[in-house]
Order: sequence, then structure tokens, then C-alpha cells
Amino acid sequence: MAVSGFEGFEKRLELHFFGDDPIIFQLGLRKIVFESIQQVLEAVQCTVVSAVGNSYFDAYVLSESSLFVYPTKIIIKTCGTTQLLKSILPLIHYANQIGLTLCSCRYTRGSFIFPKAQPFPHTSFNDEVTFLEDTIPSNLCHRKASIMPSKSSSHSWHVFTAHSSITHQNHSHNHSDSDIFTMEICMTELDPILARKFFRRPGDGKTGDSAGKEMTELTGINEINPNAFICDFAFDPCGYSMNGMDNDWYSTIHVTPEDGFSYASFECVGSVNDNIVHVLRKVVQIFRPGTMSISTSSSDYSNEMLKKMVNAVEPLGLKCRSRAVDRFPASETVVFQTFTARRRSV
Amino acid sequence: MAAVEGQVIGVHSVDAWKEHVEKGKESKKLIVVDFTASWCGPCRFIAPILAEIAKTLPHVTFLKVDVDELKTVAEEWGVEAMPTFLFLKDGKLVDKVVGAQKEQLQLTISKHATADA
Repeated sequence: MAVSGFEGFEKRLELHFFGDDPIIFQLGLRKIVFESIQQVLEAVQCTVVSAVGNSYFDAYVLSESSLFVYPTKIIIKTCGTTQLLKSILPLIHYANQIGLTLCSCRYTRGSFIFPKAQPFPHTSFNDEVTFLEDTIPSNLCHRKASIMPSKSSSHSWHVFTAHSSITHQNHSHNHSDSDIFTMEICMTELDPILARKFFRRPGDGKTGDSAGKEMTELTGINEINPNAFICDFAFDPCGYSMNGMDNDWYSTIHVTPEDGFSYASFECVGSVNDNIVHVLRKVVQIFRPGTMSISTSSSDYSNEMLKKMVNAVEPLGLKCRSRAVDRFPASETVVFQTFTARRRSV
Repeated sequence: MAAVEGQVIGVHSVDAWKEHVEKGKESKKLIVVDFTASWCGPCRFIAPILAEIAKTLPHVTFLKVDVDELKTVAEEWGVEAMPTFLFLKDGKLVDKVVGAQKEQLQLTISKHATADA
């Protein structure tokens, strides 16, 4: 690892809030003024490149990944050498100003390709956990940190969660909680021919927005969920980000296509009743990764669903190599599965 | 309803909306409509940028419609995501930008504004 390239692996933070006044839930965190959001992003060291809202939530494409703002929930995901955990204190502060209090915090990430390039507190998972422990308020007393392994020491899933003791009703969606899962997919060693599609043509005269739209259509990303409204952006000279909005469901894709450290991520929140097989197959076909990990977080995982996932991707040339299951506070189960390509060509 | 040049004009009634569209037909001026909502963060991100553009283009009419205030207008034009920018000429839709896309908005405005001048 002589030269450090761009770090594709994201850090991801999900914060849930509650308030005493039910009226607040209708808009909640969406009322935070844009200047405050900008200050949070400044602390993390990234900026907004594109954004859109619907009646359920606001979705921002960032210079380094994505931000989603729901009335009582914030998801922020940043790649590169951003300092994501520095967003926690300002977010708690701005939420307090509108009468909302933090009730759960969840931090996840894969294994960095260039760990030595990370600034504090992302220098190691230990440092991150210490920082989190010191930063989050004491009412979030049910805490757990875990490194979930795979067969390869270079691919682990890092999870930290913290919850307050009172369970608060989630107002951000109407679905039964046990059906809902969050799925985070990380892919490396992308097929080089497919990865080329995420490079801009020099002097194409397009804006990042219109070049992004073209990539969305050219790669078939728009077919993953045809019902989703997609807010997309193509970076110069390469790289791509998108946020999908389908009512209150979000999805997001980020691509770092450079050879040698190519990376793509797909994340969505879904229901077990959804067409997860179609989604997974599409994602694999768009990137054809050499290595892929799927992490799912839900309150109730079933072997049937895991089998469904494996059956979706194995016919496409990937083989399931490992599976780790861990339980976290507030009855959350995380499953971390890794896959590698059967063809180990090149 | 004095049309102030170089500003984004808030439209607060269906009648005022109709009047603006009619006026646009007569004057053949390009109309750029910002469909916005008070609860939409991305709308607050793009609003000052649109206001800056409006200052430099007095021959274009810039309107702002709150989708909760003028629900029927938003529905009529199929506005679902915010912000949505519609470009009207002769009362007809000639272009559309959905989302707070700074570069794309600037490019689309200058494309139609120059074709107009």
C-alpha cells in the first residue's frame, strides 16, 4: 500500500430523536435551518452538491456521500477522510433547539482500504468507540461495540450502538418495525469495464447533475427501484453518487471507480416483503464486484431471508464465504455476510 | 400585483398565478417557477441562489409557489418533489429541473433566457 488512493468505504451514523410535543414530529429535524446543516457538514468536512425533498424526508447528495433528514431521524454517511463523528455534538445541539432529544445512536463502517490515511477519531475502531462513548449523552445507557469478522482479516464490520432505556415510538414510518431492515452493501474490485461507465468524458459540456442522470440510465441504476425518484450527481473526472426516494424509503449509491481501489456501495431500507431478490441481482449486475459484503440490521432476522439473499447473488458468480450474527441493545440483530467472485481471473 | 424586475415574486393565490401566466403569454417572457415548501430543507438551500440569478436577469419573470398554499396549482403541474423548477413560455412547459441542482438550474435558465433575448 505505497500510495494512498481515495477511501471509498463510508462511515455511517444514524441518530434518532424524540420530543414531548407530538406536533414537532410532523416536521422536526427538517426545520433545522440550512446554515446549521452547513455548519454540521463543515465540521465533517464536506458540502452539499445536490438535494431534494418529498413529503417524508430531505435527501442531500454530499461531496462525500449522503445525508438524509427525517422529522425524528438523521442518517449521515461520508467517505474519504471525513470526520463524521464530529457531526454528533452539533446535531444534538440543533435538535435540542427545536425540542428534540437524542434517544439512539448507531455507527457502522467496513474496513478502510487506507486505514493509515484516516484522521482522528477514525484512526482505529478503538478510538472511534472512545470518542462515541465520550460524546453521546449518558441517557443512552444501553451500549455495545462489536467488530464482526469475516474469513479475511481485511474485511470486518464495525458496529457501535447506544439506546436510551425508554422505547419511543418511531413516527417516521407506518410499517411494522419487525418487517423493516437496513441493508448496507460494500463492493470492491469492481468489473473494470463496468467501472468505466462512472468516468466523465473530458469536455462533455455537461453539469454534474446531467452527467449523473446519464450514468443512472446508462448503468441501469434506475431499474433497481423504478418507482424511486433519483437525485444523482457525477463528479469530475470520475465518481458517482445518488439518493433514491420512494415515499418514505430511501436508497443510496456511491461509486469510486478508479482501478486499484475501486469501490461501490448500495444502501437501502426495505421490508422483508419487498422484492429483495431483484434489488440484489440488479446491484451485482451493475458492478460485478470481486468482493462484496452485505450487512443487514433488523429487529427480527430470519434464516429464510438470508437464504433468499444468498440465492439471489450466487447464480451471478458470487459465493458466500462467511456469515456473522450479533445482537445489539433494543433487540437489534446485525448479520454480516461476505461474498467473493468464483472467477478469480485477472 | 406589481411585477418587480430582478426579484422572485411570491404567488399567493390561484388568481394571481393565472394572471402571471397570462401576462407571460402576452409579453412572451420566460417564466421560471420555483415550487417550494416551508418544510423542505433543500428549498432553503437553493432559494438564495435563485434570488441571485433573478437579480441578473430582469427580462425573465421569476415566481415562487408554496405547494401547500397553492395545492391545486402544484397538482395541476404534477409537482411531487421539492424544489421543482418549471420553465414556461407562452403558457407552455418548455423545461423542468427537479431538485436543488445549482449548476443545472443555472444552465437551464441561461439556455432559455438567451433563446428569449
